[in-house]
Order: sequence, then structure tokens, then C-alpha cells
Amino acid sequence: MIPANLLSLIIFLPLLGGLVVLAFRRHPNPCRWISLGTASMDLFLILSVYLLEIRVHQAGDWLIVEDTSWIETLGIRYSLGLDGISLLLIMLTSFLGIIVILVSWTQVTSRVALFHFFLLSMQTGVLGVFLATDLFLFYLFWELQVVPMFFIIGIWGHEKRIHAAVKFVLFSITGSLLMLAALIGIVVVHGSQTGHYSFSLFDLVGTSLSSNLENWFFAAFLLAFAVKTPLFPVHTWLPDAHTEAPTAGSVILAGLLLKTGTYAILRFAFPLFPSAAGVAVPVLMVLGLSGVFYASWIALAQKDMKRLVAYSSIGHMGLIIVGVAAWNAMTLSGSVLQMINHGLTTSALFILVGMLDERVNSRQLSDYGGIWRKMPVFSGFFLLFCMSSLGLPGLNNFVGEILILLGTFKVQPAAAVIGFMGMVLVLIYVLRLIQDAFFGEPRTDWNVRDITGREALILVPFALLVILIGLYPHPFLDLVDGPVRNLVLETGTAMNTGAM
Amino acid sequence: MMDSGWLVILPHISLAAGGILIFCAGAFMRRRASDIIPVLAFASAACAGVSSAWIDPGGPGFLGMLDSGGFSRFFAVIFSLITLMTLVFSHHYARDRGFAGDEFYGVLLFAALGMILVAGASHWLIFFLGLELLSLSLYVLIAARKNDPASNEAALKYFVMGSVAGGFLTFGIAVLYAVTGRMDISAGLGSTMTADNRAGLLLGLSLVMVGIGFKISLVPFHLWTPDVYQGAPAPVTAFLSTGSKVAVFAALLRFSLCSHEAVWAYMAPLFWGLAALTMIVGNVTALAQTHLKRLLAYSSIAQMGYVLMALLAVKHGGASAVVFYLAVYALMDLGAFGAVAVLSGEDRERDDLEDYRGMGYVHPWRAGLLAVCLFSLAGLPPTAGFIGKFVLFHAAIQAGYVALALVGILAAIVSVYYYLRVMGILYMRTGECGIVPRTGILGDGAGMMILALLLLLGIVPSPLLTAISNIVSSLSH
Repeated sequence: MIPANLLSLIIFLPLLGGLVVLAFRRHPNPCRWISLGTASMDLFLILSVYLLEIRVHQAGDWLIVEDTSWIETLGIRYSLGLDGISLLLIMLTSFLGIIVILVSWTQVTSRVALFHFFLLSMQTGVLGVFLATDLFLFYLFWELQVVPMFFIIGIWGHEKRIHAAVKFVLFSITGSLLMLAALIGIVVVHGSQTGHYSFSLFDLVGTSLSSNLENWFFAAFLLAFAVKTPLFPVHTWLPDAHTEAPTAGSVILAGLLLKTGTYAILRFAFPLFPSAAGVAVPVLMVLGLSGVFYASWIALAQKDMKRLVAYSSIGHMGLIIVGVAAWNAMTLSGSVLQMINHGLTTSALFILVGMLDERVNSRQLSDYGGIWRKMPVFSGFFLLFCMSSLGLPGLNNFVGEILILLGTFKVQPAAAVIGFMGMVLVLIYVLRLIQDAFFGEPRTDWNVRDITGREALILVPFALLVILIGLYPHPFLDLVDGPVRNLVLETGTAMNTGAM
Repeated sequence: MMDSGWLVILPHISLAAGGILIFCAGAFMRRRASDIIPVLAFASAACAGVSSAWIDPGGPGFLGMLDSGGFSRFFAVIFSLITLMTLVFSHHYARDRGFAGDEFYGVLLFAALGMILVAGASHWLIFFLGLELLSLSLYVLIAARKNDPASNEAALKYFVMGSVAGGFLTFGIAVLYAVTGRMDISAGLGSTMTADNRAGLLLGLSLVMVGIGFKISLVPFHLWTPDVYQGAPAPVTAFLSTGSKVAVFAALLRFSLCSHEAVWAYMAPLFWGLAALTMIVGNVTALAQTHLKRLLAYSSIAQMGYVLMALLAVKHGGASAVVFYLAVYALMDLGAFGAVAVLSGEDRERDDLEDYRGMGYVHPWRAGLLAVCLFSLAGLPPTAGFIGKFVLFHAAIQAGYVALALVGILAAIVSVYYYLRVMGILYMRTGECGIVPRTGILGDGAGMMILALLLLLGIVPSPLLTAISNIVSSLSH
């Protein structure tokens, strides 16, 4: 029923579309339509996997796997695997893949073909990260996603774009090259112990390492993933990258790239090095919580709306890290769900700020005021996503946050309490944003339209998902439940022995 | 037996004969020389490549002086390809600048012959002859633009320093012969170290290493590199930076594989230091460069440092990593300098980085070649350089050189910055870089081929890696 290399098709279809787009260099509109078609086809494929496969397998195991030999001399295989967690994340990826094309429809007018090529190849990289189960293949996709982003920020970004693009790549590469050393290290250790050189995640889990070595390896992996997440204090590239990137770039950054960081922590870093992870749990909690507070505090002082949303993003990711560090079924489910929620809410906020920027050509908070009277529908959407961002019950973020905080309370009550207080800070800066921009005296010199049909088409799916997850999260939680239980079962015990 | 004995040197013969024929054509057929000579050169290089790829490899022949096994053959194919590419890149370039005479093409073929001899030598004498043939030809090639002062200065610089290094090398070989009594490379280096011969052996090897270090521009013997690379015509720089370095490194790999464990134990720390120094100094100095050819020169210095790092793992199966990276390196640098050649206007070389602003849109394919080569040099996927770097670090870590690998990784992080800087200039700045006249379908075709190979090897490296590991295992037995 399901073709043998469906996963490869899902990963490489966008890249293929991107290459086709390059042939239409002089015709912007066909580029947009072809990209949209490719991205929609990818989403269709993924949704059909969801609808067909879920009925067949209820368990939490791998739904689809793919495994072919690739570089035999080094023991590297081309192996992909799909479980509930990755399914949820690739659904998000392909959904945002369509959104970013729609967002850029009128915003990007120069070098359109190249832009869509990078958007689509970016999607290939991210999908690969979520599906790879061979460590080398994972590393390849991990590096691959950096390259298109570099160009998207650097070519289509704002004033200080080159600086931001280079900073982004340097941060990423620093983390990932050190991870490469650790990755080779664990393969070599495993190979010398068993005589079987393999890069497969399943083979390498359970490699017995000396605790010293394991700590170093874990630190290297964690650094690479923490930079992407971004975890305080290696977050400093993010505000720059977000501020300078075009809207589509910000959406990809917030919605997808950051998710690869947290995903990799729970898929690779913890299971490969459980006892080192057990030791690091308090550190991760402290860093995650400091991220929440620090980012909220800095967000209060921001005058640039995009920067404000970027800092809010750091805060939310900090909470996800807390959930991963607590490592029980409840917090992990919450963290995965929160990855999706953050991807939806923050992307929507970036899109809204981008729409304002398109109309008024300013992102400065001080240039706005009284938008509500001028653009009521737009403001309604903005308010909805702001409420979602600060965790209003009934909307998506509330579910994820409550799961993380309740689950954390069971193991680390103090961390959960501090986390709750952090949520209050979010309330302050989000309300300030709304108050300054949407209420107060309207700026009479503007003549702005409310949202157009295309913009509504972008925002309505976000709004529906935000409300759906908020009211009825079960389908999503069911999807991750099995894999999360396996992770807790396999890694949890080893973590505890490490923490002793 | 006799037949196959001569057949194995068909690549050498075709290059030498091609060179001589070209000189004859230049002397006796002046009128039609400009048509015949490039064709002759191309044909003999192609013949060398095909014959080294198809004729069955043999063992050491010619009194054990010349190895014609898989290892030498593999490198002979690489050198033939490098020569072909250089010919293609320089075809229009040399004609437009008025140095497309018989001496340029003939000497290029002799240089290729020198490379094949160096990589295939199993006897010190052949090694020395090959190296001298290579060096002398390169002096001429670098000075190919006779009326260009920069080109002449570069040639003189390379000549003076090269002669000194050659002197060290010769003396080193003499000392090794005096100590071991063998001119055969593997027998000499494979002899056990005793209290009597230790000092002589180490002195000889160190002197040889000075010569080799100069040729592959390891720090601290690298100072000539940026000046010469900048002064030489771009296609010659491509040839010089790839061919001569790969040839000498192939010889160094052979020495390392042959050397006795006890000798190796003394050499390894020396290589460790040289590798670390080369990676750090090469990459850090490249940060400050404002001229593309100088930047690429420092980058190529650093690249040799990475390869030397993996060479340390040679006793633990690292040889195939070294060979793979050398092949990939040849492609990358050939492509990068080739791109400079096809992007340069008629009168002068496009060297200042500022002249490349927005080039990615004016000449998407040629600038794309440069961009892919730079990405590959930086080790980013999906290029061959990514797999190459991975293979190198894998070899080093597997052999236990973790600290050196970390030095290499830190140096590689630094290097990403300057590669991205060029990328930013190519694609993210706007400027009047001017349109370059067409430089012929051939040059663009070669560029496309390099680009395709770099991407192909980045995605399916397995066939080449498997072939190389077979070749290397045949050598070490």
C-alpha cells in the first residue's frame, strides 16, 4: 500500500521542486505556483501517511522505516524512520512550508526563483533532520539546513543582513563541528567494543562509555542543539537573525529551525548519553528557566516588534527545555506539543508583524498606535495569537505549558513554581505590546487597508489550529504518547543511575 | 613480459612524446602552430589519462624504480584530469593574453609527466628526477606572461626558494642513502632503526621533510605560496596548487606507509606539530586577505594541514582518507582558481574581492562554480568537501589523535568565516563588477564538470571510497 521509499519522497520532493523552479528564472509567477504546488503535494503526502498509517499501527513504535546501504566502507547507512513525534513535526514543517510561500507572494519581488529554491531546499533539510536515524545522515541534514537559511537572511534580509547571516552560520557551525567530533568519537568507541562500525542510532544507544567520555560527548551534542534551540546563554544570534530576516525567514527560523534543536536533544542527546544527561538535568533546568526570565525581561525593553517576538521565542523555548530535562511522559508530551504550538503561534506573530511592516514600512513600536480602529480584523487575529502566546486557557499554548509545568512539579517542584512565575512575566510584555500598538490614539496620517484575501487565507488555518489544539489536543497527544513512553522507558532508568 | 613492461609506461610516453611534438610543431610549423598545439596537448593528456585508467596495473618495474601499481595509476588518472582541465581553462585565457605558444603547452605536459613520476616513484632517483622536472616546468609556467612583472616576480620567488628547498631535499636523500645503503624507498625507510643509524636516518628524513614541506607549503615553509599564487596566471595557479601538491603528498603518503614503525614513531610528533601549525596559521591568516587569490592560497595551505592530520593515522587505516581528500581537494582548488580564470576580463586578473560584488547574478554559472568550490572547501554539504572533511576527521579520531582533530575543528570553524565572506560578496552585495566576455564553451564546460563532480561525490562517495580502499590495501602489502 505504501511505496517503499515514501519517506525519501517526502524529504526530496521539495528539493526537486526547487530545482525545477530554478529553470524559471525570468518568470516570477510560475515560480510561486510551482513552489506552492510542490509544498502542497508534500503536505498531502504527509497527511495521507497520517490518515493511513495511524490506523494500522496504534503502538508507539516506528511507523515507517527506510534503510539502504550508502557508504559501506565507513558503516554509514541511509536510514530514515518515522514515529509519532517526527510525524507531528513533519506535518508542521510542510504546513509552514506552504505558509512561507504564501507570505512571500508579494513581499519578495527580486530573484524570486532563487528565493523559492532556497525555501524548498530548506524544507528538505529540516524534513531530513526530523526523519534521519543514522547519525551521519542526521549530521548531513543538520548542516544542510544552515546553507539555505544563510542565503535567505543574507540576500533578502534588511539592513544588517550580511552580519546577521554570518553570525547565524558561525554559531551553528561551531556547535555542529564539535558535535561531529563527539559523533565520530562514540562511533569509534562503539566500533572498538563490538567490532561493528555503525552510525545507526539504534546500534549506538546503549554503548557503554566511561563517565568522563560520556560527559564530554554529551556536552558537545548539547552545545550544537542548544545553539539551535536557542538556549540561554548561546541565544545571541537569534534576535539578530530574526530582525534582519524577511518574514518567511523568520517563520522558518522560529517554526522549524528552533524545533530541530529541541527535537535532536530528545531524539539523540538524551538517549545516546543517558547518564550524562541525568547529571545535566539541573543545569538544563536552570538554563531553561533563566532563558524564560531573561528573555521576558529583555523583551520588555524592546522597541522593535520583531525583536520582541524573537525574545518571546527564546522564553518559550526555554520552557520546552525544562520539559525535556524533567524527562517524564507528561513533560515530554507537553514539550513536543509545545514545539508545535510555538511553531504555530510565533510564526503567526512574525507573519502579522511582517504584514504591518509591509504596510507602514516600520517595525518600531513607537510608530504604531490605535491599529484596532484602522484594521479591526487584523487586530482580532493579532490579539488571538498574543493570547495564545501568553497561555490563555482554551488556546494551544496553555495545554503544552500546563503539561510541562505539572509534569515538572512531580519531579522538581521548585522549577515548576519558578516556571509559573515566568509565565506571568510573559503576560506583562505581551499586554504591553497590545496596548501600545493596538489601543491608544490612532495615527491619522495612515491610510492602511485591513487584511486581504490572501492574508486571510494564511491566518485562518493558524487560528483554527490554535483553537483546535487548545480545545481538543487528544489527536496530537495520542500521536506522541507511544514514542514518548518508549523514550522514558529506555532512557529514564539509565538517567537515574547517572544522577545517583 | 617485455610488452607489458613497456605498456605500463604508456602514460609517461604519451606525455613526453606530446611535449616533444609540440615543441617540434612550434619550431617547424609556425604558421598553423596555434591550431595544432592545443589539440596535440589535449590529445596526449587524454591518452595518458585513458591509458593509465585502462591498462592493467603492474608491480614495480624498471629495476624496481617505477611503481605501476593501482596507487600510481590512480594518481596518474588524477594528474591527467588536472592537466586536461588546466588546458581547457587556459585555452582562451592564454590566447587572449598572448602566451599560448608551444612553450606553454609543451612545458605543461612535462610538468604533468613530473607529477606522475613523483607519485609513482619507488626509487629515490626517480622521485628526485620527477620532482626536478616538475619544478623546472613550473618555474616556466609561472612566468608564462613574459611582460607581466607580477608573473616574473612570482616565478623568481618560486625559483629561488624552490632551489634552496631542492638542495635540502637532495642532501636529505644523500644522507638517507649513506645511512641505509639503499636507494629503494620502501627498503630504505623500512629498515629498522639501530643506535648506529638513528641520527643519520632522522637527519635525512628531516631534510627531506623540509623539501616536501616547501612543495606542499606547510607552515613554516609556506611564505612563498600567496605571492606565487597571486602572481601566476590563474590557470597556472590552478595547476600549481592542485597538481604539484597532490603529487608530492602522494609521495609523502608512500614514504609514510613504507616507513618502519620505529622511524614513524619519530616522525609522527613532527607531523603533529606541522599539521596543527599549518591548520591554524593558514586559516587565521586567510581571514585578513582582501584579494581572492591570496585568500585561496591561504585556504589551500590550511587544506594541506587537514590532510597532514589524517596522514598521522596512516598506520591505522587512514591512508584511504588521505587519498580521497587529495582527489577532492584537486577538484575544489581546480574549480576555484578555474573560476577566477573564467571570470577575469581580458586585460587583467579579477583579484580584488570588491570586484566580485554581485557577481553571482551577472554570471550565475561561473560564480556558482566558485561558490560551490568555496562551500566544498569550507566542508559544507552537499559537496564532496563535506564528505572529505568528515573522512579526514574520522581517520584522525579513530587513530586516537583527538587533540589534533579538535585543533582542526576549531581551525575549520574559523575558516567558515572567510569562505562566507566571499559568498556574501558574490551574492549579497550589489556592485558594478562588469560583464566578462565569453571565454569559450570549453572553459565553462570544464567548470560545469567540476561542479557536477563535486556535488556527485558529495552525495554518492561510496564508489570512489571503495576503489580507493582497494588501491591503498594493495600498496601496503
